[in-house]
Amino acid sequence: MNGGDGRYEVTPLIAAAHELKAPLALVRQLALRLEDEHLSEAERARLLRQTVLTSERALRLTSDLTRSARLEDALFTVEPINPEQLCRDIVSELAPLFEVYGRRVEVKTRKHPLLLVANRDLLRRILLGFSDNALHYSTPGSAVSMQINALKNSGTIRIGVRDYGPALSSDMWRKLQKKLRTAPQSIHARPESSGLGLYIASQFAEAMNGRIGAVRHKDGATFYVELQASSQMSLL
Amino acid sequence: MTKVLLVEDDYWLAEMEAGVLQKAGYEVEIAPHALAAIELVDTFMPDVIILDVLLAGSTGFAFLNELQSHGDTKEIPVVLCTNLAEQFNDTQLGAYGVRRVVDKSTMHPSDLVVAVKAVLG
Repeated sequence: MNGGDGRYEVTPLIAAAHELKAPLALVRQLALRLEDEHLSEAERARLLRQTVLTSERALRLTSDLTRSARLEDALFTVEPINPEQLCRDIVSELAPLFEVYGRRVEVKTRKHPLLLVANRDLLRRILLGFSDNALHYSTPGSAVSMQINALKNSGTIRIGVRDYGPALSSDMWRKLQKKLRTAPQSIHARPESSGLGLYIASQFAEAMNGRIGAVRHKDGATFYVELQASSQMSLL
Repeated sequence: MTKVLLVEDDYWLAEMEAGVLQKAGYEVEIAPHALAAIELVDTFMPDVIILDVLLAGSTGFAFLNELQSHGDTKEIPVVLCTNLAEQFNDTQLGAYGVRRVVDKSTMHPSDLVVAVKAVLG
């Protein structure tokens, strides 16, 4: 921290350390709780499940960081992908985590399927990151929804992850917009995190000639990724 | 019964911390974000607030500023419970009405009870 305004600049390394600290601290607290000899079997099982799921979240972040650091020298394939199917796979993967947090995650079904061009692994990581963010920001009992839309003018497809939670103030929103375009910054500048997750997502999107963005709603936000539609769409 | 407002956006952590405080005899309300916390300050009227600095929707500092701007809330003692404990010093936090800092990454759950007792004298 410098000065008295509560701000300090962070490098990606510090941002990564900060982002990992929260789940590690939670795993430690869960483990300490497990030392209680008076816990019921059901309570013990629940704490163990929470420990596993929290560890998995931390591990996802570490693998994203590794992938992000090696984007330039890595060769990856892009292929036509059905985004709705990918979203369904992600929902299946995340449903247990959302359930124990008292939230739901769902995919808005489309009448006509769409295809986009992407690397499956990178797109999956972007959407997992957005979903994880939405889980944290959404109100208990609410549903996070994944929505797929074709933007005909630009020939792109947008996959959005919509959460329902506290509204961001205009000031916070401006800072968030800035963060969507730049590297991790002052931790104090953004609610909850250093923006490392968004930075990684933007790196992944750019590697596929796409981009990420966000839309503010009065009751939450949508984070989205836009990628080129596949020419095979005309065959559908 | 002493009332504790726990402002923590991690659901599991909040649940665990509330359990420990209730077991120690405190009445606890949980606010998952600053907006809910501001509302609960008015309706629940806590004797002490335990606050995570980094919150969804607004930072804990925005909440602290709000508390400090009202005569009837600025005296409520605040315990900061954060993963960023090493980033703050007493002078900076004192200006925000923070009486004690607990490092979330090294604390034992019972440390919150100790901190609440300490700030209530």
